[in-house]
Parts: sequence; structure tokens; C-alpha cells
Amino acid sequence: MAAVAAPMASKPRGSKAESFVDNKRREDIRFANINSARAVSDAVRTSLGPKGMDKMISTANGEVIITNDGATILNKMEVLQPAAKMLVELSKSQDSAAGDGTTTVVVIAGALLKECQSLLTNGIHPTVISDSLHKACAKAIDILTAMAIPVELTDRDSLVKSASTSLNSKVVSQYSTLLAPLAVDAVLSVIDPEKPEIVDLRDIKIVKKLGGTVDDTHPVKGLVFDKKVSRAAGGPTRVENAKIAVIQFQISPPKTDIEQSIVVSDYTQMDRILKEERNYILGMIKKIKATGCNVLLIQKSILRDAVTDLSLHYLAKAKIMVIKDVERDEIEFVTKTLNCLPIANIEHFRAEKLGHADLVEEASLGDGKILKITGIKDMGRTTSVLVRGSNQLVLDEAERSLHDALCVVRCLVSKRFLIAGGGAPEIELSRQLGTWAKVLHGMEGYCVKSFAEALEVIPYTLAENAGLNPIAIVTELRNKHAQGEIHAGINVRKGQITNILEENVVQPLLVSTSAITLATECVRMILKIDDIVTVR
Amino acid sequence: MPIDKIFKDDASEEKGERARMASFVGAMAISDLVKSTLGPKGMDKILQSTGRGHAVTVTNDGATILKSLHIDNPAAKVLVDISKVQDDEVGDGTTSVVVLAGELLREAEKLVASKIHPMTIIAGYRMASECARDALLKRVIDNKDNAEMFRSDLLKIAMTTLCSKILSQDKEHFAEMAVDAVFRLKGSTNLEAIQIIKKPGGTLRDSFLDEGFILDKKIGIGQPKRIENAKILVANTAMDTDKVKIYGARVRVDSMTKVAEIEGAEKEKMKDKVKKIIAHGINCFVNRQLIYNFPEELFADAGILAIEHADFEGIERLGLVTGGEIASTFDNPESVKLGHCKLIEEIMIGEDKLIHFSGCEMGQACSIVLRGASHHVLDEAERSLHDALCVLSQTVNDTRVLLGGGWPEMVMAKEVDELARKTAGKKSHAIEAFSRALVAIPTTIADNAGLDSAELVAQLRAEHHTEGCNAGIDVISGSVGDMEERGIYEAFKVKQAVLLSATEASEMILRVDEIITCAPRRREDRM
Repeated sequence: MAAVAAPMASKPRGSKAESFVDNKRREDIRFANINSARAVSDAVRTSLGPKGMDKMISTANGEVIITNDGATILNKMEVLQPAAKMLVELSKSQDSAAGDGTTTVVVIAGALLKECQSLLTNGIHPTVISDSLHKACAKAIDILTAMAIPVELTDRDSLVKSASTSLNSKVVSQYSTLLAPLAVDAVLSVIDPEKPEIVDLRDIKIVKKLGGTVDDTHPVKGLVFDKKVSRAAGGPTRVENAKIAVIQFQISPPKTDIEQSIVVSDYTQMDRILKEERNYILGMIKKIKATGCNVLLIQKSILRDAVTDLSLHYLAKAKIMVIKDVERDEIEFVTKTLNCLPIANIEHFRAEKLGHADLVEEASLGDGKILKITGIKDMGRTTSVLVRGSNQLVLDEAERSLHDALCVVRCLVSKRFLIAGGGAPEIELSRQLGTWAKVLHGMEGYCVKSFAEALEVIPYTLAENAGLNPIAIVTELRNKHAQGEIHAGINVRKGQITNILEENVVQPLLVSTSAITLATECVRMILKIDDIVTVR
Repeated sequence: MPIDKIFKDDASEEKGERARMASFVGAMAISDLVKSTLGPKGMDKILQSTGRGHAVTVTNDGATILKSLHIDNPAAKVLVDISKVQDDEVGDGTTSVVVLAGELLREAEKLVASKIHPMTIIAGYRMASECARDALLKRVIDNKDNAEMFRSDLLKIAMTTLCSKILSQDKEHFAEMAVDAVFRLKGSTNLEAIQIIKKPGGTLRDSFLDEGFILDKKIGIGQPKRIENAKILVANTAMDTDKVKIYGARVRVDSMTKVAEIEGAEKEKMKDKVKKIIAHGINCFVNRQLIYNFPEELFADAGILAIEHADFEGIERLGLVTGGEIASTFDNPESVKLGHCKLIEEIMIGEDKLIHFSGCEMGQACSIVLRGASHHVLDEAERSLHDALCVLSQTVNDTRVLLGGGWPEMVMAKEVDELARKTAGKKSHAIEAFSRALVAIPTTIADNAGLDSAELVAQLRAEHHTEGCNAGIDVISGSVGDMEERGIYEAFKVKQAVLLSATEASEMILRVDEIITCAPRRREDRM
């Protein structure tokens, strides 16, 4: 009996009086959820904006990461509380939807939750709040769209401006004049004129190489590999007028799929086998040489060695440059860039499958070497960027920042609108929603008002992080907006309110809209939860 | 004690009152747990897994919650089971059925306490449920003959189902989608042909219905990215080498040339196989297993689109929708049924590239692409949409519909009350209790919405006293309103299943007067 009754004893026996339902426990869970989600949001708050601070994360395996990127911070935080986890997810979705604004979205969600908490204490039903938030959010999107400034892809200046806004908050901000145009050019160069709406960022390859400074980062018209040329036998390291083959087979002694063994019964046979092996490889290389190929890119193989010392030796003699261990996932990118076809069998080695380039050379950079292929004939729509940095941490952060900048430009390509930065859209939203709330009836108006207030968190945090007096700045900003200067924003550099468009602080509309919609969606979900059930 | 030991050690036995109490309490606890998810303003639950990874699910779906619970109480298990059956049978009403069963037991507990025999209660419940069902049958609306009206009925049902879920804000959008998808099925309840693809990013509103089939795979390198009038061979075959499947098979050679020859022979064999495949006159080849570089190149040379590593479900569906058969040998091209579709092309959703087959042979096929903020949203959206699709496909077959919003419960309660008045004997108490349990459903809906349930239900009862009344609880405005005007409809089949299985389950639990817990099987300790 005890075994059955004991777990049940703690549960309510069912209320006899139907009119009164004890909601104590449910409220507790909701508040616990909100509090832990807010804690997550507070953790990343200080990294918002151009003067935001970075976080140092030391992961379980002893690795150290220094970053300003909200998505990365949250990703590495390993939170356990379910509601806090949802905020981490939220940041991830913003990362995949817009690529930038990953901190903003979490900060907005945190502010919304804070407002919701006070609404809940006032006894408003969570679903009412949730519905009102949805309405407010839809209205906010309308307002933002009305504020936005259309941009053409030919207007390179605007694109560069928005990319540098995104870069300004990162470690690499002093290099934004270099990285922003780079990101813009990279994205513009991979746009397919047939499908101008879609940018596949996989067509942009970022190669990181330690050494030098971020200043040395530059785009490469062609291909870059962070690999050495296999030079065991003294093969060439620089080839002009290269004919490049991407091969998916191996230049090594034959190996069958079925298990095999060579039976050697006497000494003379050994010599013969060695000779045969030599002949076999020589035969392959002759076939390769016959097509005029002088650079080989060999796909990594797990089954057997891609090349042996022997084959390297012969290849070197035939003046063929060898780059081995190209990953299988990279093959598509490589073949697209080189405008060639992969070759999977020696029998199919034909001249028309080769790619052509003016120069393939190994360049030494710092202590390492990289391989560059330039002057590719009929190059596909791809771009490579070589990122340099003085240490691994800077390098990684530079890559992440560049990725953000690329995403920003991609957003502009898919939705060609710009919006002012520096807290201007948020304060304008807050103002307009505040006025709208006054014409609404009942609870809705009250909730929309809270939504409007929550949005002020962005300019507030921006000012706070920049060491300004947040209250003074936000009130002044509100004042300016009330007078109709909708592009007034916080100029963090000067520490005052200016027309933010003149300061060239702009961001894509998509980043703002998706931050608001995603944050609202997430908050609504957290609000609707009233219980945490432990399951298998 | 004369009989000291009948059971093994650790086995326990509970009798009479105690047994009944244990099962009542268990069942009620379960019903109270899911109670708060009922209705359009019901709340969600977080399911936190204790397993590895501590995966988190957020859901409003009763069946999903109950399925994943740890339960030790046998009576509670019965409730979980009926919820599962409800899910399999009609797809929706999984919470309602548990709540109703819980309420029936709650009432039964009171009756038992006032010394009414459980069998009498059961008899009363049976009569009441018969009567309630008849009451519903009398009031069903059937628009089978009027296609337009029927479609609008379906739309309304879908919206009613969806409004309690995460999709509530975009319910029109999703209801349209679900109805379109179900109409494509042309009456079959095979939901397999509707494929749901989840892609994080975007918002729920960006979700769309696509006629055709979408495969989340990549096209091989150097192969055409677009094919019109495709002839598709769907296969499940190894495209590395045909290995001799004899254990320990190996070749012994005495020279390197011979090894090369064997390797050449293996390649040749593969080439033959590819040739045979090409000989089917296809221009698209989809394989469940990996296609290695070598055959991939051969296909590329022949201008054939080859898709590797399509998972098993993908293959089966693709076979189903294109009308092809899954082939694994290629010696008789004439006996293999090829699949056909008008166009294959690569499309991009969010950041990913997918392969899109449109104009498929089987017109029923369609894909629903769900977009949303996170995996939690997407998973929950999928569950909700699945519920809607289930209900709709059932309704297409059984076209009778009812009003929603607590209307059916009130109709039933009224009839059952009348029956109670006519019935002589103790049974009438049970019948009355049944009617009270039915009323508990609108009460819970109102409670969850934070409304004054006592007031609203009383109003509703008064409204229902007039014949042919359409009043129900309109949760959105928080008042009693005409359900027909507001367009809140439910499928008859769902309601009927809720009523009957809840009654049966409570009957079963009521009959229990002894619980025997068997001794747990001992694990061998191998320390």
C-alpha cells in the first residue's frame, strides 16, 4: 500500500469546491522559469553595443574563448534549466535567421519577461498577455517596415555601412574599414544573377591562418588551402599555367575491397613484386601526365594511403604538384570554384575534366604555409577569404565577426531595407506602441504599454555599456523622437544623441524584425508553461 | 493467521476500500495534471527528460505529456492508455478524454462514500452514456452533400483544434494548409503521404504547403540540378562494391599485377552495375545507401541525377508518391516499376538546400514545410498540425460535425439530467453524477481561461434550457455566446470517442476491488 500511496500523497486530492482552484504551484513554476531566463539574459547584457564588453569562457576541456557574440556565449554556457535553455535556442535561431543581433534578441526577451512578471503579479492571465504580445509584435513589425529605407545592391556604400555597424561591437572593430568592404564584396561576388534573392554562405570559404595581424586579412580571387604541398620527394611548389585535377582515387598500390594477401614463396618473387608495384604506379602517373595535368588535389581517403612515398617520388619527377587530404565535403566547393569535375577513376582521367589556373603556389605565411590558386579560368561564383590574426583567440573572434558581417550583407540581399541603428528603431517603436496602447481597450492596452516599455531596454543598455548616464540619455532620446526626429539615436562615440543616419550607423531591417518576432515568440512560449514534468 | 503466505516476498495486496481509494487517487492525480492544458487558453508543460542530454520538450498535447510520464499507479496507467488510444484513433481530444474519465471517477468516489454499490454506479453510467450519445446524434450537422459548406466546416474544425495549440495565432493559415493537405488525400486516412519537414528559422507564418515531395538531401557533384519529366529509379542497393558475403573470403595472389587486376575487376563490376541501372532509361537515381565517388562520377557522366543516402523513410515515401517500386536488383529492367514526376529541382529553404520533386504521379502527396523560432516551437507545431490532420482526415470519412466550446457537453448533460429524473432507483444518482462530470469540462475550460466558471456555467445551463440553443463558452471574449456564429465546430467522431472511452475506462477502474502488486523480478547480481 505504502508504495502506491506515497507518491500520490503529495498530489492534490482534487478540489471539492469547483470555484476555487489553487494555482500556487503553477505560479511558482512560471516565476522560476522567468527568473532563470532573465538570469541568462542578464549574463549577456553587458556585451551589447559598440562599447559592450567581451566574455571569456573556459570550456570543460580547458579551451578558452573570448567573444562578444551572444550566440557563441550562450552556446558555451551549458545551462540546464529548461526555460533558460529556450533562451539559448532563441539566440541560435536568430543566428540562423539573421546571423546578427544574437545578443539583442536575448536582451529583448529578458526585458519582455521582466515586464510580464509585473503583469502577472497584477493578476493578468498569461494567455491574455501572450495574445497582446503577439498583437504588439505584429504592429511593431509594421512600424519598423514603415521606418525602413530601401537600399539597392548597387549602393555599395550603404552595404558597407551596415556591415561596419555589425563589426563595430566586436574585438575587430578597429579593422571594420577593412573587413566591412571585404564582406560586402564577398557576398556580392557569389550572388547568382538568376536567383538574386538567395545567397548561400557556403560559397564563401573562410580560411584562418595564425600569424600577422587582422590587418593582413584579404580576399583571395581563387582558392586557398591551409595545407602544405606534399614535398617529400622534392616536387614543385610553384606551377604556372596550371592544369588542375581533383581526384577521388589514390595513387598507391592497389587494394581490393575483398580481403587479399600476396603469397611470397621465394626471394626472387619479392623483387618482382616491388617492381610490379613501381610499374603500376608509374603507369598511373603516365596516364595523368598524358593529359597535361600538373597539379593534383587528392581527396582524403580512409581506406588506404592517398599517396605513398614512391608515388610522390614519381609525381615529383613528372613535375606534378600534389596537395593531399582534401576533405570530401570540400570537393563540391573546390570543383565549383575551379570549374572542373572530380575524377574517381584513373580510366576517366581526361583533359576536359581538368581546371585551369594561371598560378598555383605555396606561400609562406608566418610560420606556416598556405597554398593559393589564382587566376582561375571560368571561375565559379565562389570567394575565399584569408583571415589572419596574432593569436588563436583573435583569429577565432575575427572569423565569427566576419561571419556576422557576411550574414548582415546576406540579410540585405534577401530583404533590401536598411534601418537606423543606435537604439533609434527601438525607441521609436516604444513611442509609437505607447501611443497605440492608449487607444486599445482593456487588458490589451495595458500589456502593449508594457511591451513598449520593455523595448527601451536596448537604448538603455547601449548607454549603460558605453558608460553614459542611461536615464538621461534615454529620456533625451525619447524627447527627440517625440519631436519627430525618428532617426535620432545614441552616438556612442560622442556620447550624445545625434542623427544616427549621419553617423552611418545602419543595420538591415531583417535583423531588427526577426529579433522582435523571435523574442516575442519565445516569451509567449515561456508564459504559457505552467508545469515542469520530469519524464523518462 | 491461518494463511500466512500466499504471495512471494515483496509482493503486496490491497483490498476493498483501500484498493479503490488508491486507484481513484491515481486516476484523479493524472487527470488533474493534464487538466490545465485543456481548452484554447490551456497552459503548456515542460517535459524534462531525466535521460542523457536532459532534453526539453514544451507541449500542450495531452497524449504527449501522458506518454512520457513515469507512472507507478495501475489506475493511472489505464488513463494513459485511453489517451493513447484516442490519439491513435482520432488524433484529438486526448486531454478531454482523460479529464472526463477523471471527473467521472471523482463523482463515483462521492457515490461510493455514500454507500452506493459500484455496480449500480456502473449501470447508471452506462445508461447515461447511451443517452448522451443519442443526444449528440440528434443534434449533429452533416454537410456531406454540400462541398462548399463541408469545406468551411473542415476549416472551422481545424481552427478549433489548432486554437488550443501553439499555432493559435496563425490558425487561419494553418487551418487552410491542413484542409488543403487533407483534401489532396481524397478520403484516404493515410497521413504518410503528407510529409512534414521542420526547418528552424523564420516564423511560423512562413510555413507553407507544397504540392510535391521534398527530400532533405544533396545532389551529387557535377550532376544536373534540374530535370524535367524525370524517370526515377528508387533503389536500396550497395553502391560501393558487391561484396562476397562469405565469412573469411579472401583472395590469394602472388603478384601485384594480380591485385591490380582484381581491383580492376571490382571496378568493372561496379561499372556494369551502373550500366545496368542506366539501362533502365532513367534520369534520376535515388539510393538509400551511400553512392561512392566512382559510381557517382559514372552517373554524372551519363547526365543522371543521383541522390545518395536518402534515409529509409525518405525512400519509402518517394516510392509511394512517385509510383515507383524500390528495386534492389537491376537485371530485368522491364520488371522494375519506375517512378515519374514532372520536375526535380534544387530549392533553398532557410540556409539549406533541398531537393524538390513536383508533379508527382500520386497527386495526393504534398509536403508541409514548418518554419519556427526554435526546435521546441517546431516540434510542438508538428504535433499540433498532426492532430489537426488526423481529425480532418477522420472527418472527411465521417462527415458529421458538432458545435464546440462546451456545447456538446451541455447538450449531453441536459439530456442525461432528464433521464435521471425519469429513472427510478439508486441508479438515478449515478446518472446525475454523470451529468455533473460532463459539466466539469466547460468548467475546466473556463477556469483555465481565468474566467468565473461558476457564473458562466450557470448561464450556459440556463441558456440550454431553451430548445435548439447554440450557446457555448466563448473564451476569447469571456462570455457565453452562439457557437454557430463564432464558427467553433468539432468533429462528431472525436466527441463520441471521448465519451465512450472515458466511460469505459472509469467503469473498468470502478470494478476494481483488489490490487495485487507482483514482486519485482530480481536482477541477478553479478558483482
